[in-house]
Amino acid sequence: MDETVQKYTTRKGFFKQYKKKSRLQETWNRFLRNKLAVIGLFIFVFIILAAVAAPLIANYDTDAIRVNVPSRLQSPSAKHIFGTDELGRDIMARIVHGARISLVVGCAAIAVALFIGGALGAIAGYSGGKIDDVIMRCMDVFLCLPDVLLALAIVAAFGTNLVNLTIAIGLAFTPKFSRVVRSAVMTVRGVEYVEAARTIGATNTQIITNHVLINCFGPIMVQVTLYVASAILTIAAMSFIGLGIQAPIPEWGNMLASGRVYMRDHAYIVMAPGLAIFLTILSLNLLGDGLRDALDPRLK
Amino acid sequence: MEIKKINEQENTLEIKNLVIHYISDEEVVKAVNGVNIIIKAGKTLGLVGETGAGKTTTALSILNLVPEPQGKILSGEVLLQGRSVLSMSERELEVMRGDKVAMIFQDPMTSLNPVHTVGRQIAESIEIHRKVSKQQALKQAKEMLELVGIPSERSNEYPYQFSGGMKQRVDIAIALACSPDLLIADEPTTALDVTIQAQVLKLINELRQEYHMSMLMITHDLGIVAEVCDEVSIAYAGRIIEHGTLEDIFDHMRHPYTKGLFNALPDIGVKRSELKPIKGLMPDPTNLPSGCPFHPRCDYVMEVCSQSLPENKWLSETHCVECHLYKDTNESML
Repeated sequence: MDETVQKYTTRKGFFKQYKKKSRLQETWNRFLRNKLAVIGLFIFVFIILAAVAAPLIANYDTDAIRVNVPSRLQSPSAKHIFGTDELGRDIMARIVHGARISLVVGCAAIAVALFIGGALGAIAGYSGGKIDDVIMRCMDVFLCLPDVLLALAIVAAFGTNLVNLTIAIGLAFTPKFSRVVRSAVMTVRGVEYVEAARTIGATNTQIITNHVLINCFGPIMVQVTLYVASAILTIAAMSFIGLGIQAPIPEWGNMLASGRVYMRDHAYIVMAPGLAIFLTILSLNLLGDGLRDALDPRLK
Repeated sequence: MEIKKINEQENTLEIKNLVIHYISDEEVVKAVNGVNIIIKAGKTLGLVGETGAGKTTTALSILNLVPEPQGKILSGEVLLQGRSVLSMSERELEVMRGDKVAMIFQDPMTSLNPVHTVGRQIAESIEIHRKVSKQQALKQAKEMLELVGIPSERSNEYPYQFSGGMKQRVDIAIALACSPDLLIADEPTTALDVTIQAQVLKLINELRQEYHMSMLMITHDLGIVAEVCDEVSIAYAGRIIEHGTLEDIFDHMRHPYTKGLFNALPDIGVKRSELKPIKGLMPDPTNLPSGCPFHPRCDYVMEVCSQSLPENKWLSETHCVECHLYKDTNESML
């Protein structure tokens, strides 16, 4: 039977190619077919590049931090593409350096949420019964509070700094991840290969890591991209009300906050950070949606 | 039903009076109601019965993997080489599973993990039970693949790149990776087409003899039983209603249900003979009939059948039946 397949495959090149194509490749091809998702990926990669190349674009200390009153509130020009803010700092410089903060804190916070929420969700989904009830009802309590409020409470209790902010936002997103991971785990838990793993004597930990979580990778990845967007928005929101990233450090939210006083006469001052937030969130959402469609084989 | 004690040492598996019910808020599903099974070392027992006769639940109890929390083992004993499985700790169970007892599943399409290569899945079992490095485990996995007739170069491929029959071979390789003493085959060929069925059965049988394994073959196909089994137990509504050697069951069947099963088989030699189905359906396991569970469908039903459960009757050294027809005498009243 196998030889006939072999014969057929060598004679018909395209069939062989199709067979040899890996899962990842297939998913990638499906992703590429989704124009919006590709646009999202493109924008997001652009933002990451801007963040990585920030020191090449503008010096952090001289352009983004140092006050330079004589050149304050300048409209966009060749020298200052997005103009300067109320303290004479180049907005472009602050945007690209702010991107570093937003992306790092956003991703780190989601990593925290994924780690804690994922572990709790996996335990809850895999064990079921009373353990599931206890963990999930606790998560539900936190889920009742808006993320910003929850993060605010944690930051208010432990003080505002970068690490606390990351942990606070991470904890605020923990219940969401525990739900996502739990439901993903539950769909995989009952599958026969998990039962089969048990019959060869695998321990619970081995089963969860080797068989359950790895099969939930797709849906979890989708949620990660979508929640990184919300986390970035949460950081901006908290900075806007003064409880996030503090003043001299450039961050899109606090740039909006300090610029809003001058908004009437110098609209560009809020437009740049607003656009940056908008594009980041949009690109991540497009990317997440695209990934979800690409990873779902039913939508072939 | 009591099976005569022969020699404890010779028995790979002994199940005594096992009762397993699935208890939920609404109902109680009486899946297994006093099953007795003995598998002697190196022998194959066929467990035959309709869907819902409690075959798979019995098999899972050997690994102590009856689905929790609904599945409750109410009474009975499962002895694996003389050790009680039901009283083992979780750690002991993990050591036993895969090493002493391994299972081949019904559907190879779903029992392999789609995201791991087949080589890794075979190696997993070896890594768990043997103190070997990852590379060594993978090497052994490749040898196992060759053993089941798959070129070892394919160990880096994923399950979706294999056909159904080859996946079942991989399943067999996983089960045999640690050369267990008892192999449970839960309808291993149901999901395969007939030609592949024959190949897979032949493979299982050859390897079983090579490794001197005992086997519990769960099936509803009497043809498979005739091909691979030494002894046969007929399960009905969670009980073993007839047990014997292959000859006892195939040539001297006694229980009306067993007769019904054979009457329902088409005979290739006889033209235009109509099949005689067993009338009625398998009883609802949440609401079993009183007395003998088979009595509403039985052609030889007597008054006593609905009143009391028939006792186990030994007709010969190897053959026993659970039916009121054989109450007082070894002679058939039919």
